Amino acid sequence: MGFVESFKQNFIEEDRWHYLVNGLGTTLLITLFAVLIGMVLGFIIAIIRFTHDKTGKMVIPNIICKVYLTVIRGTPVVVQLLIIYFVIFASVPISKIFVAIIAFGINSGAYVAEIVRSGIASIDDGQFEAGRSLGLNYRQTMTSIILPQAFKNVLPALANECIVLLKETSVSGYIAVQDLTKGGDIIRSQTYSAFMPLISVAIIYLVMVVVLTHFVTKLERRLRQSDRR
Amino acid sequence: MIDVKGLKKTFGENEVLKGIDEHINKGEKVVVIGPSGSGKSTFLRCLNLMEIPTEGTILFEGSDITRADDRELNLMRRKMGMVFQHFNLFPHLTIKKNITLAPVKLGLMTQDEADKKALDLLERVGLPDKADSYPAMLSGGQKQRIAIARSLAMNPDVMLFDEPTSALDPEMVGEVLELMKQLAEDGMTMVVVTHEMGFAREVASRVMFMADGVIMEQNTPKEFFENPQNPRLREFLSKVL
Repeated sequence: MGFVESFKQNFIEEDRWHYLVNGLGTTLLITLFAVLIGMVLGFIIAIIRFTHDKTGKMVIPNIICKVYLTVIRGTPVVVQLLIIYFVIFASVPISKIFVAIIAFGINSGAYVAEIVRSGIASIDDGQFEAGRSLGLNYRQTMTSIILPQAFKNVLPALANECIVLLKETSVSGYIAVQDLTKGGDIIRSQTYSAFMPLISVAIIYLVMVVVLTHFVTKLERRLRQSDRR
Repeated sequence: MIDVKGLKKTFGENEVLKGIDEHINKGEKVVVIGPSGSGKSTFLRCLNLMEIPTEGTILFEGSDITRADDRELNLMRRKMGMVFQHFNLFPHLTIKKNITLAPVKLGLMTQDEADKKALDLLERVGLPDKADSYPAMLSGGQKQRIAIARSLAMNPDVMLFDEPTSALDPEMVGEVLELMKQLAEDGMTMVVVTHEMGFAREVASRVMFMADGVIMEQNTPKEFFENPQNPRLREFLSKVL
């Protein structure tokens, strides 16, 4: 079978391309909201951990954060996804996509937290002292002096985390979410041809990652303005 | 204005300040000198509680800041400007923003008022054209002058200088000292930790010698340099003069 026939069979016949387009939409939806949850969660945890290390306050929240980090980073994301779907939300009629968002968001939060914490720790103590010596309180110093700089420093690592997350959502099929990967796999199971659908899926992921990387590089360049000499 | 009683500070096993009693009056320019490790920077940093004293009290304008809660402490720090050895400008903000950040965040000025004040201050420190530059674009001397302007934006009652010229290339020391001299002439109360003996001699109303965590000797600059009593001070001066 030639390339053209194969293309027709896998994507045109019975509108099979819908599987990929809808799957892509689902993948992007899950990634976008999971990234948002992960960022918010990660920043909160990083700030709690840093505040604990710096001031000795927030003992209980810090312990909770540590347990969370250990559990999430110590278990595979697929297992977490399965547990959240089949154990935690077992008796709740709930959208599978929503479950995937929650699972990947919680998972990503743990990695974001450690990235952000290392970013905060990389800021010179003098920055903190300068803020406090001007009469700014801890929170004001964090939000207007420390975090913007930390964010800039860890932006490449955070972007990398987004890219990892985008690719990780490909296991959503485990709870029967029809994401991009699952979409390609459904086509494969219908047409019994593996090459065309799976390579297409791979190319779509690749393009997304390349585009994302491009935007991050641009953003980094803009943030670096203040380093110009 | 600042009243220090029985101030002690230990870092772990290491007793850096071994009991300091000192009074600094409004308008005084106190210069603290001494060998490294003598505790002079720690003493200065205790005055605005950048370091928490282990023992003793510090009264600033009548209230004990060692017993202040966070909110009171922040209010007091507004009145005490601090200039650091490494400038500690905010690298992610323009010069103007560096200066206006605190007054605006703390609700003391609107952004417009603060901008105007910033331009006045930049004029005063001789860098009116740097408002929209970023710290990385400035020389060390310029950075330190901006750092001074940033502190002045809060209209402090006292300025603390922690070795303000120690991180500068020699040719940039002069411009910073000149600015500090101007400040002194304008009547600012100043506590300066420095190795610049010329500055101490010229600007100080009182020079203090610290060694081993205590103030060993203090006097007017003339007496201090011409007629030192303490053998440690004599030895120190013979090395640095």
